[in-house]
Amino acid sequence: MTENGITVRQEIRDKIAAIGEADILVGIPSYNNSRTIGHVVKAVQAGLAKYFPSQKSIMVNSDGGSSDGTMDVVHATTIHDMKSILLAHRVEPLHKIATPYHGIPGKGSAFRTIFQIADALNVKACAVVDSDLRSITPEWVELLIKPVLDEGFDYVAPLYHRHKYDGTITNSIIYPLTRALYGKRVRQPIGGDFGFSGRLAQFYLGKDVWETDVARFGIDIWMTTTAIANNFKIAQSFLGAKIHDPKDPGADLSAMLYQVVGATFDLMEAYTDVWRKVQGSEPVPTFGFEYAVGLEPISVNLERMIEMFRLGLRELGGMWKGFLPPSALDALARTAGLSAAAFHIPDDVWVDIVYAFALAAHKKQMNKEHLLKSLTPLYLGRTASFVVDTRESGAADVEKKIEGLCARFEEKKAFLVRNLR
Amino acid sequence: MGNFIDKIFVMPIQSFGEKLIKFLPDLLSAVLILVVGFVLGLLLKAVLVRFFRTIGLDRFSQRSGVVAALQKGGIREPASLLLSKLFAGLVIISFSILAMRALKLVVIDDVLARFLLYIPNVFIAGVIILFGYILGNFLGRAVLIAAVNAGVKVSGLISRLVKVTVFLLATTMALEQLGIGSGTIVVAFAIILGGLVFAFSLAFGLGGKEIAKTYLEKRIKGDEAKDDISYL
Repeated sequence: MTENGITVRQEIRDKIAAIGEADILVGIPSYNNSRTIGHVVKAVQAGLAKYFPSQKSIMVNSDGGSSDGTMDVVHATTIHDMKSILLAHRVEPLHKIATPYHGIPGKGSAFRTIFQIADALNVKACAVVDSDLRSITPEWVELLIKPVLDEGFDYVAPLYHRHKYDGTITNSIIYPLTRALYGKRVRQPIGGDFGFSGRLAQFYLGKDVWETDVARFGIDIWMTTTAIANNFKIAQSFLGAKIHDPKDPGADLSAMLYQVVGATFDLMEAYTDVWRKVQGSEPVPTFGFEYAVGLEPISVNLERMIEMFRLGLRELGGMWKGFLPPSALDALARTAGLSAAAFHIPDDVWVDIVYAFALAAHKKQMNKEHLLKSLTPLYLGRTASFVVDTRESGAADVEKKIEGLCARFEEKKAFLVRNLR
Repeated sequence: MGNFIDKIFVMPIQSFGEKLIKFLPDLLSAVLILVVGFVLGLLLKAVLVRFFRTIGLDRFSQRSGVVAALQKGGIREPASLLLSKLFAGLVIISFSILAMRALKLVVIDDVLARFLLYIPNVFIAGVIILFGYILGNFLGRAVLIAAVNAGVKVSGLISRLVKVTVFLLATTMALEQLGIGSGTIVVAFAIILGGLVFAFSLAFGLGGKEIAKTYLEKRIKGDEAKDDISYL
C-alpha cells in the first residue's frame, strides 16, 4: 500500500509517524546477509552513539525478501556493553526499522524505500552502507555523515583501499569514464556506501527512474552521476579497507557489465549537455585520514581470462567490426597471439573500445543487451592485461597506472564528442 | 462468285472490324487503368521511401542483420527503398490485373481469379520468412554471446544451428502457407531436425564422453580454478 508516496507496511508507517522527525538516517539494504549484517548493524549503532550522541538517529534495514532470517538478525542485534566502545552514553535513543521493500527486486528499490523514509522523517543527513561488509567500523558512519552535517556537502562518496585486482569494472571503465565525462575525480563512483543530504534524498525521489534498471543494480552510478551532473556539492571520505563477504565468483559477469555499463551509458544520454562541455577533471574534497591497510590476497585464473578473450575475438570479432575502429581490431588480433606472460592491451586501445561501445549504444547500432554483453570477453582481456602489467606492482604503482588510464580517457574524450550525433 | 468473296473475305473482315470497334473501348480502358496504376505506384514509392526513412527502418534493418543478408545476396539498396519498390510493384500488379479484367476475356478472367486468390498467401509467406530470418538472427546472436561468455568453445556452431533451425521452421511454415507439399515438408522437417538431434546425441555420447566427464567433474566437484575478483 502507498500512502503519502511511502510504499511500506502500515506498522512501519505508524512507526514513522511516532518518530515524527529525525536528524540522521542510516540505511542498510540487504538480501540474505544474515551472516554479516549483525556486524554492520553493530558498527552503525556504535558509530551513531559515538559520533552523534545528541542527534535523533534512525537505522533502516530495507530488505529484498531474505529467506535466511536477515531481518531477524537486524531486530535482535544490539550492543549490550556500550561501555566497551564508548566513554559516554548517547543521549538520544536510536530507532530501528526493518522492512521489506516493494517494487522491482534490486538494490535500487531498497534505496528507494530508504529515501522515502528519510523524506518522511525530514532528516538532515543520510548514509547507506552495504550489508555484506566485514571491514565496516563505527568511524564509517562519522566519515559519511559529518561532511554533510557540518560542512554542507550533499554527497559523500567512499574512498577505500582495495586489493589491486578488486573492483576491476570500477578501475577500468566506470571511474575513468565518469571522471572524463563529468570532470570530478570521484574514485569509487559505485562503491556502495554513500553519505548524502536530506535535500539530495528528496531530489532522488523526485526522479522517475524507479521502474527502470536503476531500480535494480544501476543505483550506485545513478546516485553519483545524478549528484555530480546536477551540481550538488560532492566530497569523498577515506574509509579504510573494503572487505566484504565473498560473492559467488561465477555470478554472471556479463549481466553485471550490462547493468552497470548500461546504466552509465543511459546517464550519458540523459546528461549529454552537461558532459559535452566538460574538459579535464578536478579533485573533489577528501575527508578522513588515509593510512595503509593489509588486504586479503586474491587469486586470479589468468589463463582462463585470456582464453575467454581469444574465444570472444574469434566468435564475436565479426560483430565488433560494425562499430570498433579498425586500429583497435588490429591491436586486439595482435594481442590474441601473445603469450600469457606478455599479454597486453594498451590503454589507448582500451579507451577506443569503451568509447566505441558508448557510441554504438548511443546510435542504437545493435540491441543494447547484446552490445553490452559482448563487451565481456574484451573486459576479461583488459583485466588479464592489467593483472600481467601490475603483477609486481605495489598499491601506489597500481594507482599511478589507473591515473594514466584516466588521462587517456580525458585526452580522447574529444573523439567521443566529435562522433556523437 | 461475288457471294463467295463476300463469305470468304468481306464478312470476316467486317465481323473482325465490328469486334475490334466493340473491343477498342475496353482496350483503351485497360491502357488507361495501366497508366494510372504506374503513376500511382511511382507516387506511392516516393511517399513510402520518405515515410520508412522517417521511422528509421534502415537503422532497424541494419541492426537486425537484414542489410547484411541482402548485401550477401548482392542487393545494395537500402531496406526503405526495397520495401517501397515492393509496395509500388504490388500497386502496379493490382492495376495491371484490373486492366486485364477490363479486357473482359473469359480465359484471362479465370487465370486472374486464381492468381488473385493466391496473392495473399504469397504475401503472408514472405512476411513469415522475413520474420523468421530476423528472429533467427536475433536468437542466434543472443545464443552466440551467451555461449562465448560461458566459455563454450563451439559457440559459433551452436549459434548457427539456432539460426538455421529458426529459419527452417519459418520456411516450413511459409511453404505450408503456400500449400506446397504441406504434409511432406512438415514430415521432412521433423525427420531432418530429429536426425540432427539424434546425430548430435550420438556424437556427444560417443565422441565427447571424456569431455563431458571432465566438464561435469569440474562443475560438480569445483575443480576448476576460479577467480576471487570482485568486479564492482
